[in-house]
Amino acid sequence: MQTFSGLVSVLMVFVWLGGNQVSPLRPICDLRVLDHFVREARDSEVIMRGCRGGCGVMKPYLVPLTSVDFAVWEHIDVHGQAVEVWIGLSLLDQALSNAMKTVSNSPLANALDNNISNIHSLGHILHSLDLQARSTVLPDDSAPASTQTQEVSSLSELLQVQSSFLRGKVRLLLSAAPACQRQNS
Amino acid sequence: MTKMRSDRLKIVFMLCLAFVTTGGQHFESKVAQLLQDETEDIKCFVEGKDLTCFWEEEEEKNNLHDQYTFTYSYENKNKMPCAVSSLSLLASNKTIFFCKLSKPPFFATLNVQVLRDGRMLYSRSLNAENFLFLDPPRNLTVLSSGKEGQLNVSWLPPPLKYMDDSMIYEVRYAVEGSNMGKVEVIKVSTMLVLLGLQSDTRYKVWVRVKPDGVSYKGYWSAWTEPVFGVTPPSDMDPLIVLLVLFIGLILCLLSLTVFLSQHKFLLKKLWPDIPTPEHKFPGLFTVYKGDFKEWMSQNNGSMWGRSVHVYTEELASPLEVLSEVSLTSHGTSQREERKPPEEEEEKESERSDSGLTDRWREPPQAHWLMEQLKALQENPESRSQSSLLQSHDTYVTLNQGDNERQADDVFEETLPLQTLFTTAGTSSLSTSRSDLGSLQQSSGSGRLSSQSSFEYPNHTWPPKGPGYAYMAVADSGVSMDYSPMSSSRIAELGRHRMYTNDYKNEIFPHKWPFSGQYIKSGSESCAGPVW
Repeated sequence: MQTFSGLVSVLMVFVWLGGNQVSPLRPICDLRVLDHFVREARDSEVIMRGCRGGCGVMKPYLVPLTSVDFAVWEHIDVHGQAVEVWIGLSLLDQALSNAMKTVSNSPLANALDNNISNIHSLGHILHSLDLQARSTVLPDDSAPASTQTQEVSSLSELLQVQSSFLRGKVRLLLSAAPACQRQNS
Repeated sequence: MTKMRSDRLKIVFMLCLAFVTTGGQHFESKVAQLLQDETEDIKCFVEGKDLTCFWEEEEEKNNLHDQYTFTYSYENKNKMPCAVSSLSLLASNKTIFFCKLSKPPFFATLNVQVLRDGRMLYSRSLNAENFLFLDPPRNLTVLSSGKEGQLNVSWLPPPLKYMDDSMIYEVRYAVEGSNMGKVEVIKVSTMLVLLGLQSDTRYKVWVRVKPDGVSYKGYWSAWTEPVFGVTPPSDMDPLIVLLVLFIGLILCLLSLTVFLSQHKFLLKKLWPDIPTPEHKFPGLFTVYKGDFKEWMSQNNGSMWGRSVHVYTEELASPLEVLSEVSLTSHGTSQREERKPPEEEEEKESERSDSGLTDRWREPPQAHWLMEQLKALQENPESRSQSSLLQSHDTYVTLNQGDNERQADDVFEETLPLQTLFTTAGTSSLSTSRSDLGSLQQSSGSGRLSSQSSFEYPNHTWPPKGPGYAYMAVADSGVSMDYSPMSSSRIAELGRHRMYTNDYKNEIFPHKWPFSGQYIKSGSESCAGPVW
């Protein structure tokens, strides 16, 4: 799994190097990549449930909202969806990095490290689909929780949010990406 | 216009009713299944886009549904209530209370609680996307692919948005009437080719669906209604055809080889050559073109001589002559005269296989025979007797008795020999005197033939009764020596009857035993009793 993430990262590096060139990036529309990330996020939850000691401390983490109302979601345009997904991935990246600093259990630490790499890969995928957020302003911690964020108090809840976010909003966005729709048609 | 609108409304109403009814059937079946499988107090499932949570009625009390309160919350939101309803299941005779959330939030943790009379009864936290309970696939079709042992199965997924690529299907198939079935699992795709099926067999096929478990999870749907398909009949395996042809070719080659190597033998068996006597008659068919007279005239001398040898050597047939006549002394009484010859004949017969020329008696015996023959010749009735005897043509007896007894003798001669010979001293005797006489007559001239006539066959002779002499005479068939014994010659011989008997060249070794059986003998005249 780490090898797979590494390969994707290398690919993304080359994509980034050639990103300013005239030729567009080749869109990554295969959802099996995302499914792979989802399974690794679930593995972290399992490891967390079995962790006995060195499993982090109780502290609040700012995380995105994961709930999806299909009726509402369908009325949001793709770019709005992309912004929401992009912000959520950034929040998760910060929270996981903060949590890993307090984890001494090596399996759990490794799992958290994979999750962070996967989130970075997802960023690149969104870039390939031309769904990168136009604005990269993230809400800071001091501000009250916006309608797009929520606060959790444990690593377990954090991992659960990560899993739900990837399976929900991220997947819905990737499955509905216009670049992939043009490819299928 | 108004009528058309009302018709449309009716149609829509019927469709909605059908949908609800169908959904209701599905809903009850799903509830019934979860009642068995799910262990949680609050059992929840997502049907379509709606989340339904239900619980069983407590047994102690006959509760009313309005005493229950159902609330849910998610993502820091406040608790929201849900209307509770009741349902009586006819199949299991149970009552449940349920709450249906319309379009609940997915990918978020829901906290549900059931309160009864203000007190928490049940609570549960769940993500709705993990409890999908899909409807069975639609439009299941089973078709023959045309290939041996294959069936094409296809279906349509349940109508769910965003989830088409997250479903997994299970196809079950079994021979009609059999309880043993196989299961095939297939992801995403909604068609499958069943392989390795029996030819010309009717199969039942079912399909069910479930979320693949990556993004969405849930329960297996109910099986579809079975659909039947028949596999095509098996074609002849080309390998078997080739093997059969190859083996047939080998068999043909083998049979051809056998036939060619053994064709002469087979032809001989199937179409045997018709035997021809050509080799016995050299030149008859080639030189004389089948003209026997001509051939005979040309080959008369040499052929006769040769034939004598041939017949004497090859066609000898034993001839047993039974005689009571004694050949030792002719001056004694008839019986006495007969006995010695019998004894002599016995002795002669007993010392048979050695030299033939020494067997014959001295001239006194021959002289006596000559006298007998003369007597027979003088008797004109001998002819008739001989003719009578010839008419019987079964045996030859020489009667030394009186003429008076001729008629009796005739009858006696017609009796079986046993009866004839058991009367001691009777006049009816079978003698070989005539034969002896003829032989004696010819002894001078044709000794060779007489000798040959006394060739005893190689077989053993059964013992005869006392007082009866027998003599085996080899029937030479064509023998000029026997010509004197024709009926005309016999007439010249005298008073005593001479019974002649035409005998054929037949060898009856098996009839030599004294069984009283008569045999026919001789194409040539030969005087003498024969068996």
